[in-house]
Amino acid sequence: MPFHLLNNIQLDALKEVSNIGMGHAATALSQMIGQTVYLRVPHVTITEISQVPEHLGGAEKLMVGITLQILGDARGSIMLLFPQESAHRLLSSLLGREEKGLVLTEINVSALKEVGNILASAYLSALGNLLHKTLIPSVPLLAYDMAGAVVDYVLIELSQNGDLALMVETDFYGAADQDAGIKGHFFLLPDPATLDIFLSAIGGPR
Amino acid sequence: MSERISIAQARIDRAPVVLKAYGLGSCLAVGLYDPVQRLGGLAHLLLPCRPAQNPLGDEGKYVDAGIRQMVAELLRAGAVQQNLVAKLAGGANMFESEYKTLIHSIGARNAKSARETLAELGIPVIGEEVGGNRGRTVELDLACGSMMVYCARDGEKVLL
Repeated sequence: MPFHLLNNIQLDALKEVSNIGMGHAATALSQMIGQTVYLRVPHVTITEISQVPEHLGGAEKLMVGITLQILGDARGSIMLLFPQESAHRLLSSLLGREEKGLVLTEINVSALKEVGNILASAYLSALGNLLHKTLIPSVPLLAYDMAGAVVDYVLIELSQNGDLALMVETDFYGAADQDAGIKGHFFLLPDPATLDIFLSAIGGPR
Repeated sequence: MSERISIAQARIDRAPVVLKAYGLGSCLAVGLYDPVQRLGGLAHLLLPCRPAQNPLGDEGKYVDAGIRQMVAELLRAGAVQQNLVAKLAGGANMFESEYKTLIHSIGARNAKSARETLAELGIPVIGEEVGGNRGRTVELDLACGSMMVYCARDGEKVLL
């Protein structure tokens, strides 16, 4: 289904499904870092592909991006983005030592990819159970650079099917003090064909 | 005066305007310039080739179609094809991977498509800052045709 034909009920259904999936992912993350992880209610946005970097806080902001392909009964991409400072704090709590600035050594990259893997797996298995579909994450890939440069990889893939992106976005943050906590963005970017699979499984009006 | 070019967009203008494209990964920035007329354009392109059958969406997102469109607009605005020169930046591979993904090496294919299209049009490529695995921000100064490429991660600047 083309993204622009989605109605409000369908958008709400996607939001709810995503909320449940993210809940599982947040639980997994909080167990890994030993602190509570809070979730914001997901947004579902349909936007021009060219506007996606703006939704991420600007094309030039430095971010760590972890991307995974969705394999199995549905196709699409997952993109996790951590602002530079958050990636740094996340590594400090994961590895139990104070890192000086964000240095992407092999072990640090591997730890961040593992976070991506666990979050995506928790999300996809919750989503799959709900929809009775098998959803498998691919091996995670990581890049650290300007937000625009990190996401254009996903945008290029989406742009093969049109000029719009459907973003299911959730912000999560560790610790009550948001400024000192870990912030991240989680994006689900389904292919248009995958959207049909999701919507028919949700069973809402089409 | 600086004008922003977003993804899948192209724009032509005259001196003293500066055209800017932010945060390119695998995307390619193509700058064209006529140094005599001091007229040029910058495009932020996503995909190498426009499919002949059922192309989806804007021409502006395809490297080949986007370049042809920009050249046509420049000629209409008074540029002379023999004067035109091109500079390329971007086309990186941001996510290094051991396995082939669906859009494997798209950055390199974007750069290749640009070189081929420009060769067909007889426009020489006089500067390139492409490939690798770093993001780039590009500024094309229409006063002189110079292209400044910033790489935020390592803080490097390259002047083309």
